[in-house]
Amino acid sequence: MLSRITRASLAVSVVFLVGACTAEDMKVWSSHSTHFASGEHGFFSLRNNKDGSNPRVSRLDVENNRLQNWWGIYAINVSPNQIFQN
Amino acid sequence: MLPGRIAAVVLVLLLSSASSATATAADAITPLEEYTTAKARNLATTYKIQLVQFYEYVYNCLPWLGVVKNGIGFRQPRDAQADDRYLSVWISIDQKTDGPFGQMPLDRRVSAMFSRYGVDMLRRLSQLNGVASDPDVRGFSVVLSWLKPGGTEKNPMMETLALFIDKSSLGEFLAKRLPATEFTSRAMFNVFEGKDRVGRVTLDVWDDDFNSTFKLKNYEPPEGAKCS
Repeated sequence: MLSRITRASLAVSVVFLVGACTAEDMKVWSSHSTHFASGEHGFFSLRNNKDGSNPRVSRLDVENNRLQNWWGIYAINVSPNQIFQN
Repeated sequence: MLPGRIAAVVLVLLLSSASSATATAADAITPLEEYTTAKARNLATTYKIQLVQFYEYVYNCLPWLGVVKNGIGFRQPRDAQADDRYLSVWISIDQKTDGPFGQMPLDRRVSAMFSRYGVDMLRRLSQLNGVASDPDVRGFSVVLSWLKPGGTEKNPMMETLALFIDKSSLGEFLAKRLPATEFTSRAMFNVFEGKDRVGRVTLDVWDDDFNSTFKLKNYEPPEGAKCS
């Protein structure tokens, strides 16, 4: 039979481990971002001035980048009728 | 003459491919003829302006998200018995599949995506003028799709979360009067891998303000867009 102190220690340990796991997940996710968050895409420089100043990214730039680089648009995906009925 | 014709054909092809990726509001909002009930058609007609404004906001101000064709509308969950209507948006998210995200198990990926994008989208939908107080609106829905990690270019597959929540529970949750665990237990949701239904997974929700605070470096919204 576990003593009260042992049981309390176990409970604290479990809470700590769960908390640590969640915190780690949060940390990992927070440090990770979308493709667009990186700002590393070549098209970002397309509209720069020659001296590299005044960079601008338009909505069309973003869309073209997605079109060119993201092969996910051809991926297998769930059909609307598997989720909705009209 | 011939090079001119070729150039014209190439131009048409380029424009058509660009338009397929650049969804307009007309592409993004479910057309009236797709609805099967008068209630749904009435809602779509009554709130058309709000839906267009919502689409334009996402398109202009949240360019890292893509609204799926016909992705905005007053939808009904599959197999619903009553004509319950949920204002829904289906978002495609351009997410890196390598690195930490790809190493997360499915339920953590789903939780992360919902926490980051789903909650914010539900909040924005619920704030559309008049919708939340309309008695014909049962609730709100968000569908999120992203590329499944570990796939290849030859065999890409999407993961999708489809979630429906009644408007009362959403309002309480957003006001922090309803714990996340109770919110998820009340929500109807399913996860899909490609076309395969996985069903419910452990869905944890935490605070993540990325979608409401992130600014794309050097991005300039189209002239006239209201992003503040």
